[in-house]
Amino acid sequence: MPGAPRSLTIAAKAASLRAVTEFVHKGALEASLPAARIGELDLLIDELITNVCIHAYPADVLPGVVTVKYSVPAPGELSVEVADQGVEFNPLKAEPPDLTLSLEERPIGGLGIHLVKTLATSLTYRREQGWNRLTFGISADS
Amino acid sequence: MPSQHNDKSNLSIERTQVSDHVVLVVSGRMDAENASQFEEKCKDCMAEGHTRLVADLGGLAYVSSMGLRSFLSVAKTLQSKGGVLRLCCLKGLVKQVFEITGLMQVFSVYESVESAVL
Repeated sequence: MPGAPRSLTIAAKAASLRAVTEFVHKGALEASLPAARIGELDLLIDELITNVCIHAYPADVLPGVVTVKYSVPAPGELSVEVADQGVEFNPLKAEPPDLTLSLEERPIGGLGIHLVKTLATSLTYRREQGWNRLTFGISADS
Repeated sequence: MPSQHNDKSNLSIERTQVSDHVVLVVSGRMDAENASQFEEKCKDCMAEGHTRLVADLGGLAYVSSMGLRSFLSVAKTLQSKGGVLRLCCLKGLVKQVFEITGLMQVFSVYESVESAVL
């Protein structure tokens, strides 16, 4: 059925990234996203899955799970939800990096969430019954 | 739709020497799984006494924030040794990522290998 959400639940570990990427590529195909958007979609998924893998679950419950859902709300638009049951984390409230710092002053991390905020055409977060649910949109013309 | 992730999942780093610079030609995709390869290559160069490195990113199709960490880490280490990491030939998504993260101003970025080794 067109527009119905598709879902993939997989271990929250780096080796799962390829499967998740291939999964959302199906959504990109359904949404008719142009090739120029696919790299950005890959980056959004990469940053969010990597974030879950590294930060969401305490060491004693590794490797937790991550559930990825996508839907096509309209032609040319793809909506993707990345959900985990890890520690509560709202990336929308993360301190933005200072992009004016010199090489010497720059921390080496903290750029992933900034990339997500910049590349996604929409981004929402909700904490729901122990789940972090982050939903981003990407559009053919974004 | 062809899967770009499958097509370009491998990272390739070829090393050449141009004048007094070591040039690392980086191709493919750089992400959490393989970004450490770049750091290892650079560490090898530093262990041999090379502190002026150029990364030719003309063949790099994709870089995530974990790749950016590697570039920053190497550049910081080289700077502390009085050396430098120069970048050249950025294009497409990789250039976009460096622009979004303000790193075009942090690194010395050149249009070509020839200009980067001057």
